[in-house]
Amino acid sequence: MSGAKSNGNDYLFEIAVFLATSARNCIDEPPLYGPFRLLDALSKIADLPKHAPCLKEDPFLQEVKAIVDEKKFLVVYGGEEFKKAIDEVVEMFAKELKKRYLEKAKESSE
Amino acid sequence: MDVFEAIKGRRSVRKYKTEPVDKELVKKLLDAARWAPSGGNIQPWLFIVIDDSKVLNVIRKISPGYFGEAPLAILVCSNREKAYKIGGTLGRDYLSIADCAMAVQNMLLAAYALGLGTCVVKSFSHAAIKEVLAIPEGIEPELLVIIGHPNQVPKPPPKVPMSEIVHLNRYGEKFSGLEG
Repeated sequence: MSGAKSNGNDYLFEIAVFLATSARNCIDEPPLYGPFRLLDALSKIADLPKHAPCLKEDPFLQEVKAIVDEKKFLVVYGGEEFKKAIDEVVEMFAKELKKRYLEKAKESSE
Repeated sequence: MDVFEAIKGRRSVRKYKTEPVDKELVKKLLDAARWAPSGGNIQPWLFIVIDDSKVLNVIRKISPGYFGEAPLAILVCSNREKAYKIGGTLGRDYLSIADCAMAVQNMLLAAYALGLGTCVVKSFSHAAIKEVLAIPEGIEPELLVIIGHPNQVPKPPPKVPMSEIVHLNRYGEKFSGLEG
């Protein structure tokens, strides 16, 4: 995907094209490419606020994006390392979910 | 450059500088490609050089396997009609693809020797790339080679040990003394 800044609609369109072409390619590609494309989509979606100023940049998603971009190519080094990297990302989300929806909610109800 | 150095040193580069690739170097890559072996000397390959940033940008969008901002890509296509006329179904269905793969490998090694980075991409939308580049029936896009000046070179991927893949004289017989 282009690094040049586009407007929100252009960027959304790019993501849509990426998802459509990935969906078709995933039928024929190695099974691990499915999760790989999903991670790549996550990385692209995390950048949406940079292209659509109406959205607020989410520091957590940027943190996740950095991890994803650093580790997504582990897919070529074997399934186990790649799986560990995805587990790490999911764990980050689980902690963040707790923070956003359980701990903060608890604080506000107290 | 020693050929073994090129074979072992080449990597699939996914981060590039935006600096353009000199046209003379592009010509060298294409010449190296066409000197690949070809079954029945069919030479089924065709090369579409893409250096227009607008076209590249569209290709990038329809190629989930295309990473980085490389300023150049070469789409290697096979002329299946020609391959069938000369080589029959073997030529059309097998040799044309094998020949293009060998041409691409030549291109990759030549690029490495010239200080360029490359990445071979098969993860593109076949239908979309044919439409965007106006590729006629009978011509099939096989592999997209991304080319540019490398910004970051990845570590080597693990390789299956030779002892697991090499047999001597008949299947299952060990070729002793192989490293790894």
